This record gives sequence, C-alpha cells and structure tokens, in this order.
Amino acid sequence: MTYFVLFLGVGFVLGGLGVASNPSPYYGVVGLVLGSVCGCGWLLSLGVSFVSLVLFMVYLGGMLVVFVYSVALAADPFPEAWGDWRVVGRGAGLVVVLVAGVVGWGLIGGSGFVVDAVDSAGTFFVRFDFSGVSLFYSWGVGMFLVAGWGLLLTLFVVLEVVRGLSRGAIRAV
Amino acid sequence: MPFLHLSFYSTFTLSALGLAFHRTHLVSALLCLESMMLAMYVALSAWPVTTQTSSSTLMPMLMLAFSACEAGTGLAMLVASTRTHGSDHLHNLNLLQC
Repeated sequence: MTYFVLFLGVGFVLGGLGVASNPSPYYGVVGLVLGSVCGCGWLLSLGVSFVSLVLFMVYLGGMLVVFVYSVALAADPFPEAWGDWRVVGRGAGLVVVLVAGVVGWGLIGGSGFVVDAVDSAGTFFVRFDFSGVSLFYSWGVGMFLVAGWGLLLTLFVVLEVVRGLSRGAIRAV
Repeated sequence: MPFLHLSFYSTFTLSALGLAFHRTHLVSALLCLESMMLAMYVALSAWPVTTQTSSSTLMPMLMLAFSACEAGTGLAMLVASTRTHGSDHLHNLNLLQC
C-alpha cells in the first residue's frame, strides 16, 4: 500500500513534467489528466475524500473538459509527437531540474516517506474535511458570497472578452 | 521535508518553468498554469491533514473557485486571439513590434 501511494506521488510529478514539456497541447492535456488522477488518489490515501472528489468533479470533469475543446479549437491539425529532438531536449532539461531538486532534498535531510493520515487519531462520525468545508455556510458565508459573485462576474467577463475585434453576430470560429 | 511536500514543490516548479519557456502555442502556457493550480490545490489540501485543523479545509475550495474563474478568462482570451489572428501562435501576437 505504501508503494502504491509512492507510485501515485511519482505519477503526480510525471504529470507535471508532461505538461511542462508538451510537444503539442493534446499531449499536455494528457499529462494534466494523469497529474490530477494521481493527485486525487493521493488525497484519498490521506483520508480527505471530499476534497479529492471535488477535485475530480470540478477540476477534471469541469475545467479540463473546457480545456480539451478549447485545445481542439486552437491546436495544429498535424501535431508533433514526443519523438522530436527539440521536445526530448526540453524534457531532458526539466528532468535535470527535477533531479537537482531531489538531490537537494536528500542533502537537507529529507525526512522520508511517512505521512500521518487523517484517521490516525481514530475515525469520527463527522468526517474531517466534511466538517471543515461545511464552515462555508456558517462562519465563512462572506467568502462564499464573494466567490459566488466572482464566478458570476467571470461569466460576463468571458462573454465580453470572447467578442474579439468586432461586435455583433456569431462568426464561424 | 516529507516526500509529499517534495512532490508538489517539484510539480509547481516544473510547471512554472514550462510556463516561462513555452514555445509555440498560447494554450500550452494556460495548461502549465492549470498544472500550477493543481499542485497548489493538493498542497492546500494536505496541509490541514498534517496540522489536524479541519477548518482550513475551506481554503482549497475557495482556491478552486477562483482558479476556475482564471481558467475561464484565459480561455476566453485564447478564443479571442484565435478569432482575430486565426491561430493561437505566439509569434502572431506582434502588434508592439518588439
């Protein structure tokens, strides 16, 4: 089980590496999906299942779907793949940065692979993260209203920005 | 520093480098920005678990809401540039001539 969680952690970093060194946005989205699936799995292993499911539904199911069809609008019809030498060079440079980070972590005495999960003090009837997020509706109601107002404002901002140069009718693209 | 912290620091740094050194497409930069937001979300979710204070679990929710706003606005700019220039290639955005 420990090795599976470590594998998820390594998969998270590889997803980030895949997004940063993407040859084409199609492959960058694949890296982002891998990163978010591994991140969700990791949060599940810590015991905070609510924030993990929120990440799955809002991030992966909402935002990434919007990204995928925007990539379909904007990307090349003939994308270059992972085998091109420029892409491999860029990926190798990022791997060098990653290795330098891991070596630095080892030098400052990285304290190993054990993390306390949320149930380490015993399981409770009201779960850890459910009880935290429910504060949104009691003490955090001000920020809740600000976030809702911000999302509504973003809707109108997007409608205005998308018009581009000219106003009026719907165009082909 | 536990391995969890190293992992999301590495992801954040790699994505920031990818944002700084993106080549052709604007949407690649937006994807790197999303990856930075993902690393920050996992970090903000893992922090209340370490300190065992459940009220801080609010923060990743709020961060996700504002990150959705930012992603929507970035994609709207992408669509606007595709409508005006025909593609989202960065070398087309040369109005300033510099």
